[in-house]
Amino acid sequence: MDPKLKAANRRTGLILLSIALVFFFGAIGAKLLGSPVASIGVLGTAVLLFLVLAIGRHLRK
Amino acid sequence: MSSVPHDQVAGGHEHGHDEHAHHPTGIMRWITTTNHKDIGTLYLWFSFVMFIVGGIMALTIRAELFKPGLQIVDPEFFNSMTTLHGLVMIFGALMPGAVGFANWMIPLQVGAPDMAFARMNNWSFWLLPFAATLLVSSLFMPGGAPGTGWTIYPPLSIENGMGMDLTIFAIHIMGASSIMGSINIITTILNLRAPGMTLLKMPLFCWAWLITAYLLIAVMPVLAGAVTMLLTDRHFGTSFFNAAGGGDPVLFQHIFWFFGHPEVYIIILPAFGIISEIIPTFSRKPLFGYASMVYALSAIAILSFIVWAHHMFTTGLPAASILFYMYATMLIAVPTGVKVFNWLATMWKGSISLEAPMLFALGFLFLFTVGGFTGLILAIQPVDVQFQDTYYVVAHFHYVMVAGTLFAFFGGTYYWLPKWTGHMYDEKLADWHFWGSFIFFNVAFFPMHFLGMAGMPRRIPDYALQFADWNMVSTIGAFGFGLSQLLFLYVVVKTIRGGEKAAAKPWEGGLTLEWTVPSPAPYHTFETPPVVK
Repeated sequence: MDPKLKAANRRTGLILLSIALVFFFGAIGAKLLGSPVASIGVLGTAVLLFLVLAIGRHLRK
Repeated sequence: MSSVPHDQVAGGHEHGHDEHAHHPTGIMRWITTTNHKDIGTLYLWFSFVMFIVGGIMALTIRAELFKPGLQIVDPEFFNSMTTLHGLVMIFGALMPGAVGFANWMIPLQVGAPDMAFARMNNWSFWLLPFAATLLVSSLFMPGGAPGTGWTIYPPLSIENGMGMDLTIFAIHIMGASSIMGSINIITTILNLRAPGMTLLKMPLFCWAWLITAYLLIAVMPVLAGAVTMLLTDRHFGTSFFNAAGGGDPVLFQHIFWFFGHPEVYIIILPAFGIISEIIPTFSRKPLFGYASMVYALSAIAILSFIVWAHHMFTTGLPAASILFYMYATMLIAVPTGVKVFNWLATMWKGSISLEAPMLFALGFLFLFTVGGFTGLILAIQPVDVQFQDTYYVVAHFHYVMVAGTLFAFFGGTYYWLPKWTGHMYDEKLADWHFWGSFIFFNVAFFPMHFLGMAGMPRRIPDYALQFADWNMVSTIGAFGFGLSQLLFLYVVVKTIRGGEKAAAKPWEGGLTLEWTVPSPAPYHTFETPPVVK
């Protein structure tokens, strides 16, 4: 595989993995924050933004 | 445009197919393989084995419920069966099945030589048998498997025996496998598409999986976080969900359903993708409203994140929250309706033929819509309060999961079996499989609506005499449905072993890239990417 493509794959993979880790620790951290409704709301908003950005930025490619 | 007509593909199938490439043979081929087709095959067989395991558990449940009173298993074992049946079917059968289709078809449909991370792909799969073994072996632990139901709500899940720990670890491992699989799928789709294949030229199956993979990455870690907290509550003295220590059991429900509702769409969206491939092919027309299908998929995915508390209408939510979740849930009917409308419009004035894939697609369309409508009914909070934890809910989600996802998987298997094996399947037996599944599915699950409306609670091994008749009917249907699946196994094995040779494009209406390569698909495909004009 072309090294540039390999690097791009690795970059994409790492970004996605970091998002998964944010959600994992976010779920636990949200509980530690206190108010469940607020923290899950924040997490939900993050998910929405993530979906919109993640899909939206590639639409024209 | 949902697909790429052959005349728009430069090169066709001269593009680098190494038909007789050397690769390991025997068991080592399957253990060490990094080939997307091999791994897809492994996923699909694993999924089928787990489907049989989960099915046997379902039949144990139905056998116990054949008549009132306790006759076959004790109540604790019955509870373990309901828990493991749910977990095995969701994490062992349906999700790996969808990933199997993704592994086989996404590289072929986007013109990629393989998945982006081939070694990780191998690892993603081989985690699953270990996780499944952990999960099922919880049955043999002191105290047996968890009796909590698949939702593993505390406080019961905090108090359950060692089987619960094994279940938690199994969920962790299956979650890790799903996340790795999703990273692979997203990276493959975003980075390895053939030149000229813009996102809005991608087959809808790939779109459905792209969105599903994003959902998985967002919600599987949340479930992993929830079960990690459960584990620390059980063994490390924390009180996240333990009310005795100041924790909040209802919070677990919020976090669980924040995962659990998108999970429903994780299971159904790949099925939507498969159906969106089958219907145009057998209607001999391009998919109606391709762009609106993509936007509908995205809308369903986004809405799936803001409706989780409709699973918790009886937990005492504030009135404003109830209204919000009620209306947001109803809103999902709009993009789902768009999809159903577009599938019907694709068939409208099409030259339809009713081979097995199309029969399953039509069965899906009809029965999934029934499941969707009962979902709408359950979205109405005052009604939901009556139906909460009754057989009406069991009927609803089996119409979505079985008649929805499983029928799409059967249809997808028949659709792509010629490409996978190089042989045509036995159409007559496949039709029998469809009719057996369709009739017995309805015999098994439609009466559950009546039982639920009459007030029969779910997850109980015994029940009042008034529910006896419909339970008997339902059990007969369940066993008939189970037997029908043996026919499926026979048809698949028969096709693998031989039969009429399949052409590269066995379905004249097939327009996507996989039909440009020979059948069976060579071990290596698209080493030189095709150019899509």
